[in-house]
Amino acid sequence: MGHVLPENPYKDLDAQIEALMKCQPLPEPEVKILCDQAREILIEESNVQPVKCPVTVCGDIHGQFQDLLELFRIGGNCPDTNYLFMGDYVDRGYHSVETVSLLVALKVRYRDRITILRGNHESRQITQVYGFYDECLRKYGNANVWKFFTDLFDYLPLTALVENQIFCLHGGLSPALDTLDHIRALDRVQEVPHEGPMCDLLWSDPDDRCGWGISPRGAGYTFGQDISEQFNHTNGLNLVARAHQLVMEGYNWCHDQNVVTIFSAPNYCYRCGNMAAIMEVNETMRKNFLQFEPAPRRGEPEVTRRTPDYFL
Amino acid sequence: MAPTAAPWAQAGQAGAPLARRPPGTPVEEIIHAEPHMPGAVPSPQLQPGVVPRPAQRRIHSQEDLAKFLKSQAIKDFVGFILALNDSVRGAKLSADCPTSAATTALVDVLDTLWGWVDEVPPRQQSLRYGNPAYRDWFARVADHAVELLQRVLPPDLAPMAAELAPYLTDSFGNVTRIDYGTGHETTFVALLFCLARLGLLTERDRQALVLRVYHRYLRLMRRVQTTYWLEPAGSHGVWGLDDYQFMPFIWGSAQLIDNPFIRPKSIHSHDVLEGYASEYLYLGCVRFVKQVKKGPLAETSPMLNDISGIATWSKVNSGMMKMYQAEVLAKFPIMQHFLFCSLLPFDDA
Repeated sequence: MGHVLPENPYKDLDAQIEALMKCQPLPEPEVKILCDQAREILIEESNVQPVKCPVTVCGDIHGQFQDLLELFRIGGNCPDTNYLFMGDYVDRGYHSVETVSLLVALKVRYRDRITILRGNHESRQITQVYGFYDECLRKYGNANVWKFFTDLFDYLPLTALVENQIFCLHGGLSPALDTLDHIRALDRVQEVPHEGPMCDLLWSDPDDRCGWGISPRGAGYTFGQDISEQFNHTNGLNLVARAHQLVMEGYNWCHDQNVVTIFSAPNYCYRCGNMAAIMEVNETMRKNFLQFEPAPRRGEPEVTRRTPDYFL
Repeated sequence: MAPTAAPWAQAGQAGAPLARRPPGTPVEEIIHAEPHMPGAVPSPQLQPGVVPRPAQRRIHSQEDLAKFLKSQAIKDFVGFILALNDSVRGAKLSADCPTSAATTALVDVLDTLWGWVDEVPPRQQSLRYGNPAYRDWFARVADHAVELLQRVLPPDLAPMAAELAPYLTDSFGNVTRIDYGTGHETTFVALLFCLARLGLLTERDRQALVLRVYHRYLRLMRRVQTTYWLEPAGSHGVWGLDDYQFMPFIWGSAQLIDNPFIRPKSIHSHDVLEGYASEYLYLGCVRFVKQVKKGPLAETSPMLNDISGIATWSKVNSGMMKMYQAEVLAKFPIMQHFLFCSLLPFDDA
């Protein structure tokens, strides 16, 4: 008799990840179970989730699934490489369902190897305007999967802190939050509010002008170099890493290297002509940016035409 | 590209999730209107002693929008779009059509703005998306808006230029965000509506408004979008028709109604697109999408791909009008910026 290997407790999950890596969406009941498992993990995480180096920090994905696979080819597979994603997995792209399913499945499988933060698009209201809701209806015929995911989004951590030095979040700073302890004290498990500190973390942008400014987005604020310097000084940080804005090279330093923007969706919306980038932080906290272009597509996707309701 | 704008911006109210219909049910028109040109009305602002008041925003809440959607003003506005729609059934862009002093002057104004794009080249910069030179071009339009409108208005109506200037300016995008979208396009149509209200544009001008004036506007906006890399305002990404325009899908599908050989599915034919994009707005839009978006149409534009499966252009045309009402006219994030004036009043319900 040969030695019997114990059964892989992650057999189902591994099979799901394998299917998702082929861009095959999970059946609705599996999405529900996955979201339930993910919630139990995320609920334990902090509003300022501590992360160890080495880690690779990524920005917006927006349903560009093939480009997410390209990101893993460039940066290394999870869990061989540790990842920190700073939100905006869904909306606008064609494959938001597959993208967010894969990232959540990886989180459940390798909880200490991947951190997924909340972006302003991980919200019920925004996803009803910018595409994820429509995509779920189209791919599942009902809104259940949209509800499973948007309910899960309430539990995503708002920010992460790499080795107490690099503060990572989707949008930017808030006039109501001077310290990391202020952020730790927020009650985050809710729909992204229309205003206030939690909203600001997901919506704000750095700006050339000093101080706080009104955001043209209608949510969050713009913040100047003086604000970034003060925040980093107060909290003993050396960098704020954030996403949320398209930058043509995929990453962009500003505020005298107090802030870096990272955007990981190449040729955004199939038309913008931008590079994507990810930021590797190694064991000695050295930063290295990897840029990449859109993944080559493999011909027409298999789609059946469906008459939009307006044309019935 | 699109910096996401908050849908609740300036709403001043907490939003419950938006109400949605169950999928697979036909959509009714929100606004029932018959095609009609707005009757000419004397503007109260032309009365002696009245100081012209520039057009302004009036929709500040969902309640305001609901009120507007029930008003006579929106019925007249939709009726105007439908009147133009009817006039271009079966008409090519190159068709002979009657023009008037006003339609010729409008084309002339758009030509002037085209020339200004030549004079304001984009700046060398690659950090962000929108090019800051757009702000210089836009400032020039805004500074000259009254004067440009006075080229269109006869002397007795010249004082109306101050009231209508905001419509002209807002037709070309948002200077702070460096973006452009279907709301700005709707503002341009509202300007034409107001000129019709003044009696300046009549039944006879309907074809020229689409085939000459709007077409010129569309070409100008495409050039502005690509020259200054305008961000699409509120883009739904692949889940919308187009990142910037809506009207050419309405009026363009009308052009193709009863066409003997170009069918909705003909958008997949390279030869049809190349041969007829310059004659039909709809085909021009599909060709433009194929030029700017890299990737298969089914993935970059699933809506256009879906619509190509519909049997007749007539069905496409009526669906487009319903979609425009629901996705543009009934959307608060867009309509909060809509402008009202004495010719297009808010509270005439």
